[in-house]
Amino acid sequence: MRIQCTVNGKSVERDISPDLRLLDFIRETLQLTGTKEGCGEGECGACTVLLDGKAVNSCLVLAMQADGSVIITVEGLADGQALHPIQEAYVEVGAVQCGFCTPGFIMATYALLQDTPDPSEEEILAGLEGNLCRCTGYSKILDAVKLAARRMRESR
Amino acid sequence: MRYQRVINESELLDGLSQPGSLIVCGGTDVIVKMRAGMLQPTLLLDVTQIESLHGIQVDEGHLEIGAATLESDIMHSPLVNQHAPLLALVLRQLGSVQIRNRGTLAGNIVNASPAADGAIPLLLYEAEVQVVGPAQEQWVRLESFFTGPGKTTLSSGEFVRALRMPIGTDGFRTFFHKVGKRNALTIAIASLGLLLNIEQGAIQEIRIAVGSVAPTPRRLRKIESQLTGRALDAALPLEARDLITGAIAPISDIRATAAYRRNVIGDLFARALRSHLTQPL
Repeated sequence: MRIQCTVNGKSVERDISPDLRLLDFIRETLQLTGTKEGCGEGECGACTVLLDGKAVNSCLVLAMQADGSVIITVEGLADGQALHPIQEAYVEVGAVQCGFCTPGFIMATYALLQDTPDPSEEEILAGLEGNLCRCTGYSKILDAVKLAARRMRESR
Repeated sequence: MRYQRVINESELLDGLSQPGSLIVCGGTDVIVKMRAGMLQPTLLLDVTQIESLHGIQVDEGHLEIGAATLESDIMHSPLVNQHAPLLALVLRQLGSVQIRNRGTLAGNIVNASPAADGAIPLLLYEAEVQVVGPAQEQWVRLESFFTGPGKTTLSSGEFVRALRMPIGTDGFRTFFHKVGKRNALTIAIASLGLLLNIEQGAIQEIRIAVGSVAPTPRRLRKIESQLTGRALDAALPLEARDLITGAIAPISDIRATAAYRRNVIGDLFARALRSHLTQPL
């Protein structure tokens, strides 16, 4: 089947199998391997992308369901060589251990800060509830979200 | 497998008349089950774009929610927070941000898990399910809609258009607690929800619903009538604990033993009543 959608600002059109998941479309068809597959059941959040502005698990969406949609993956955040403030904060604070969960966390953070620019700790925890870090580096992730939120507010 | 994005209800009914067809909306259950081989549809009907399945409104004394409305939209709806605050509260604990941005409350119901979080507030608010088939449409009480684990009265060729519940419990006290291994994304080991109307220290009305302790989420109507009219005094929580542990017959499974489930429901019930005590213990 034919799918047309906008991925990281670029229009893409491909012929795909109807049982392809959005996650497979992103990783295999478009070769954007920043988005990770963890559990494949919506439990871990490693595959989080923005679909029409909302954080979703790309392992739970069929690619064809995203026909006509606007998708942002972790590759779409940086501005050329300059990292997005969220990415910068994760690196600076040391919120990245093995790194596998990081793209998902960064996309969940992006969605959170888009709706809640000045989140309380409780709101951060709620915003990231769908993401697991098996290295258990949660305190640094919290620090990174707070730092990113402050910088993004200041640069407004 | 074929995939079709249906754009109106007549297209949907046409699609459902074909053997091997299956509705997908948010996909948070269907896609997992398809990959596990538990569902093998030959035609997948995507209903996300059908306009008549969307929206939240108050009409003729009912709060009505379209079947394709996202859980996140329901949770944030001012109408839901006003007329069914316990539903909004439970949705905040259902799945995760990512799940609620795709999943629907109607899907949670049709999936018919004995542990379905969404079923608890809907049972308490006396919800009905609008079932639409080729020949007729009707409102079915949620309590009789569930027939067993993963099973409902929905027949092949039919779909759910909306859920509705009568309004009129504004001011009722609410309680919901689920026990699981993780706050987010947990499948409840046991869950309990209450709607409680207390006047002058006595229970005017109590509605009790439990999850994960029976083949379907269910109301405990016998205990409700036993407790109606009773003074909510310091002795009641312990008595209520015995009543509820005697009224449920949970099973042991991969997540917990029957004895644990019975205990935890008893404790939750006692705790819920204690939190609404009008006299100090």
